[in-house]
Amino acid sequence: MSSHIPDHYGRTELVLLVVDPYLVSAYWDVTQESLWHAHGTLGAEMDGARAVIRMYDISLIHFDGTNAHHQFDIDIGLEARAWYFSLWKPEKSYCADLGFVARTGRFHALTRSNIIHTPRAGPSTRTDERWMRVQFMRRRKPDPKRPLEYLAGDDLFRGLSEAEARALRLRLARDMRDALGEFGGGLPTSLKGAR
Amino acid sequence: MSFPVGYLCLVLHCHLPYVRHPEHDNFLEENWLFEAITDTYVPLLRVMNGLVRDGADFRLTTTLSPPLISMLRDPLLISRYERHINKLIDLASKETHRTRDQPEFHRLATMYLERFVQTRQAFTQEYGRDLVGGFDRLQEMGKLEIITCGATHGFMPLLNVVPSAVRAQLRTAVAHYEETFGRPPHGIWLPECGYYPGLDECLRDVGLQFFFTEAHGLLYADPRPRYGLHTPVFCPTGVAAFARDLESSKQVWSAEEGYPGDSAYRDYYRDVGWDLDYDYIRPYIHVDGKRINTGIKYYRITGKTDHKQVYDRATAMERAASHAGNFMFNREKQAQWLAPMMDRPPITVAPYDAELFGHWWFEGPEWLDFLFRKLHYDQHTVKPITPAEYLERHDVNQVCTPCASSWGNKGYNDVWCNRANDWIYRHLHTAAQRMEELGRWFPNAEGPARRALTQAGRELLLAQSSDWAFIMKTGTMVEYAVKRTKDHIARFTGLYEGLKAGQIDEGWLKDLEEKDNIFPNLDYKNFS
Repeated sequence: MSSHIPDHYGRTELVLLVVDPYLVSAYWDVTQESLWHAHGTLGAEMDGARAVIRMYDISLIHFDGTNAHHQFDIDIGLEARAWYFSLWKPEKSYCADLGFVARTGRFHALTRSNIIHTPRAGPSTRTDERWMRVQFMRRRKPDPKRPLEYLAGDDLFRGLSEAEARALRLRLARDMRDALGEFGGGLPTSLKGAR
Repeated sequence: MSFPVGYLCLVLHCHLPYVRHPEHDNFLEENWLFEAITDTYVPLLRVMNGLVRDGADFRLTTTLSPPLISMLRDPLLISRYERHINKLIDLASKETHRTRDQPEFHRLATMYLERFVQTRQAFTQEYGRDLVGGFDRLQEMGKLEIITCGATHGFMPLLNVVPSAVRAQLRTAVAHYEETFGRPPHGIWLPECGYYPGLDECLRDVGLQFFFTEAHGLLYADPRPRYGLHTPVFCPTGVAAFARDLESSKQVWSAEEGYPGDSAYRDYYRDVGWDLDYDYIRPYIHVDGKRINTGIKYYRITGKTDHKQVYDRATAMERAASHAGNFMFNREKQAQWLAPMMDRPPITVAPYDAELFGHWWFEGPEWLDFLFRKLHYDQHTVKPITPAEYLERHDVNQVCTPCASSWGNKGYNDVWCNRANDWIYRHLHTAAQRMEELGRWFPNAEGPARRALTQAGRELLLAQSSDWAFIMKTGTMVEYAVKRTKDHIARFTGLYEGLKAGQIDEGWLKDLEEKDNIFPNLDYKNFS
């Protein structure tokens, strides 16, 4: 038998998830307090108000709440708590409000969602090229036969908690190991020829 | 043309979800691991060590996912595996007796008996009950590149609603790799090949230098990559992305056109667990009397018919050799065709689920053996390579941002987010946020609080395995996947509430620590 898990987490939220370039999934929860608040704000206008997800196309902008390229409403049943909706254009950024639209057109938002980016559905049209050099860092196991040993001075660790000092020691050891690894075999280049 | 004309990067993704149930003496789903050890991991190690012994140079890249490493090193599962293989040996020896008057079956029963005895010998003696150590030795020889994976194979594109969840999956995986192999990993197999722009920043932050994407991750990258799938690109962060080659994938994967569907190969579905008399097979199936696959299978695929013919090992081996030759021929032609258009040798990345080899496709490990031998001895066009070696040789690459993608059906997220499994995300996201919150409340916990925080982290990670959502979608063993998700979420919630209220039930905590014992050295600060 499965364990019992919470049905609600006691908060009002709306979360969008990308399914594919043309499909988005949403889930939401609305607390009783949020509903009372909506009733308080919209008052008589709440009568006949529709629950909607108001989607904002915020592709390539810093959304300040007013500058969306465009917006559209998706009618939902509040009790459904999850929904899928199809979109007509890939490669867009969206966020959304969950709220009520009164018959007067007035909108009361309950909560705002996360931001999603729908994927591209075909090759990019951009063909300009940039190239980059990135040196690959080969990681090696510490070699017990390594002739050099790194000893850190005490000053470095002054004022640090034990956990911080341990972390710093580990990091220094790793940095040293990587640096040695780059020269191969744990020996500085100058010593290699002499060996 | 100079040698090599092209590179071949074969990648095997070895992963199983963490399944370990000390509370039951026999647990059906633990067989996933036992079957994979017998059918896939031991045969792969045998193939690789055989190549080393014979001086046939090769390069292979494998993921060993943290849950798989943890299970392969778990004393309870190791002892249960030995019980499992002993039982199989027992059944196989009974089978040699039962089939003594049917030569074609008797030959196969003897083959299975020898195989299982050898597997037990390899597992206990050769590898000293530590297959991970066996893989590590091959890595130290420079033949194998072991890469990491998400800590519990969490599907990042759907976990990233709570960014700390992605960071925790990666930090935990990298720390676990370091504990296991004594050095940080070079690269990662993103669970389900799931990538989204920006994920590379998290990879860079934990020191990972390369990952793999599905083909359209690169084909649809921005700007459009000049060499398509046949060189890696650098994300703007400098992390390299290698893309799966479509042609070579299809030859092995595809159920219709792929090699594994050949009529000479062993049929996976005709198993003595289902075919033989109930009373005879009873001791070797599930304790509750349910018939299950035992691993002994006598028939070949034959064709689309119920009248299967008896498997013939020699014919199947010949077919595997010829398929390996065909695969190599196609890679040579591919490299020769691509190379003149490029300023460097093209790389073909061919990743597969490791469990395809040996478990589903019985002859898979031998195919791999033939392939590497042929590549070494028979040609000078294509050279096997690891991503690390490629990046050492070719450190200048085009800068592109790969497209969000996965290797699931339809190429995006719908396998892990659909009506069969979408209910999980509400809980996974809330738990991840709560874990982050706990980290803020308890910046330096000690004693039982620390243990509870760490266990909460384990429960969260275990709930995040993409395997559960996948199983819910595919429709077999759904009950188990639902139960696992709910159990871990419930345990997490109990710990969260206990910590919040300052009341930790230590008896219960100890019980959870014993049950869900993955990542003994987990740092709860990974979840910040």
